[in-house]
Amino acid sequence: MTPIIGGLQKTTNYRVVLPFYIYASLGLLLGTTLLLFSTKDLFVHYFNPHILALTHSMALAWGTMLIFGASHQLLPVLVEGKLNSDKLAYLTFGLMAIGIPFLIYGFYVFNVGAPLKIGATMINLGVLCYLLNVISTAFKNNQKNIHAWFAITATIWLLTTTFLGLLLVFNFQTPLLTNNSVYYLAVHAHLGIIGWFLLMVIGLGSRLIPMFLISKYTNNKILWLIFALLNFALISFLGFYLSGAPTYLYYIPNVMGVAAILLFGRHCYKAYKIRIRKNVDQQVTTSLISIVLMLIPFIILIVTIGAIPKAYINRMVMLYGFTIFFGWITAIILGMTFKTMPFIIWNKVYHSKAHKGRTPAPKEIFNNKVYKIMQLCYLGDLPSLSLASYYSIK
Amino acid sequence: MNIKTNNNEKCDYALQDLYNVIDPEIGLNIVDLGLLYEMYFDEDAKKLECIMTLTTQFCPMGEAITSDTHNSLEQSFPDWDIIINLIFEPAWNMNMISMTGREYLGQ
Repeated sequence: MTPIIGGLQKTTNYRVVLPFYIYASLGLLLGTTLLLFSTKDLFVHYFNPHILALTHSMALAWGTMLIFGASHQLLPVLVEGKLNSDKLAYLTFGLMAIGIPFLIYGFYVFNVGAPLKIGATMINLGVLCYLLNVISTAFKNNQKNIHAWFAITATIWLLTTTFLGLLLVFNFQTPLLTNNSVYYLAVHAHLGIIGWFLLMVIGLGSRLIPMFLISKYTNNKILWLIFALLNFALISFLGFYLSGAPTYLYYIPNVMGVAAILLFGRHCYKAYKIRIRKNVDQQVTTSLISIVLMLIPFIILIVTIGAIPKAYINRMVMLYGFTIFFGWITAIILGMTFKTMPFIIWNKVYHSKAHKGRTPAPKEIFNNKVYKIMQLCYLGDLPSLSLASYYSIK
Repeated sequence: MNIKTNNNEKCDYALQDLYNVIDPEIGLNIVDLGLLYEMYFDEDAKKLECIMTLTTQFCPMGEAITSDTHNSLEQSFPDWDIIINLIFEPAWNMNMISMTGREYLGQ
């Protein structure tokens, strides 16, 4: 007999979320494999086929696909409303899942024809479907929610990133832009890093971290300030770069970015201080560590602008990109994935069996020992790889 | 813990089992977590209405918690119709956690 439960809001079906998680884990495997076999390429110019393939594996197949999966589950929690369309979510997955391998293959063999064009077009369509779903979910429910605005704005920046990427791909063969494609790489990268990843991670994290700590701390004014700082930082950077402004002006977006991260760190620290749950699990600890890791790329950037001779800039760019993708983005994603994944699996397998005999708790279906080993390997490896990059600079 | 009821004796009996209904994320039972608001017993119609909430309206574990609550009450009152009604006004807040719950969480 189906239990009579009034007022229950259905959450996102696990079938929507799990494919993204599985795809993303394969993306991380591909990214780390490419890193293993492309170490020589790390020490030449960053605009080379293998590094482009590696960067897009980490940014799209790993980072973006995992955030897509998690946000389909978590967006309803943030906006207190149901996900608008499962069909759009499936369509997003299908388009991205087919488009990404085309793009990565196109970069790896540097075929600027059909593979890159098909891949980039499908990814843009996938991101467009995701944007429509995010906007319709947020506006159907509580559009004034700051976390929803973070998610909407981040996705608009993501579409801007992928659309510029599409233009750059076509620009290889048919000149569409006033400069060559390499010139626009910095714009493409920062739209994605600051506009998409940083805004989305802070938008989701500012709600989820206090929630997982069981902390009632909230401060919407500070969150709006962080939102404004990051968007102004990105817009001013784009303005300075495209207008050829002098280098010292780049301190302005940098300082705004550092201020935003420090404020986000303060937000999480305040939530941590008044938390009700005293035992912080490993996954939330990893997420908190990732906030510190967020600062490292900004420090590298400030040092590069102020103190690094031009001859070393390519190596610093490599170090900068490495600390972003293998540093904070991977850390926050590992933390949040292993925090949410056991619940998604538990919900699928055990929820109907609750109170009908012994069922394991979600944390019991998760191997904490393996996670600790993974965390130690990952955190132990990060400084050594960063040092290796540093000492490679001649 | 301040649950409104029209039958204290039956409510206490129901709670014995409800202490075993755990919020899977927090690891604390729903009674000490303060998710239960009201419990009404209609002896003639053999109907039990449980009014409760969740920590957040779109709690991913909502279905599991409410099913578990339903199964628990069904065990305590096998011949009764069990109705669970979720409400979000007043919204749950951390002040609703009992002292025992706070101690369990380490506060």
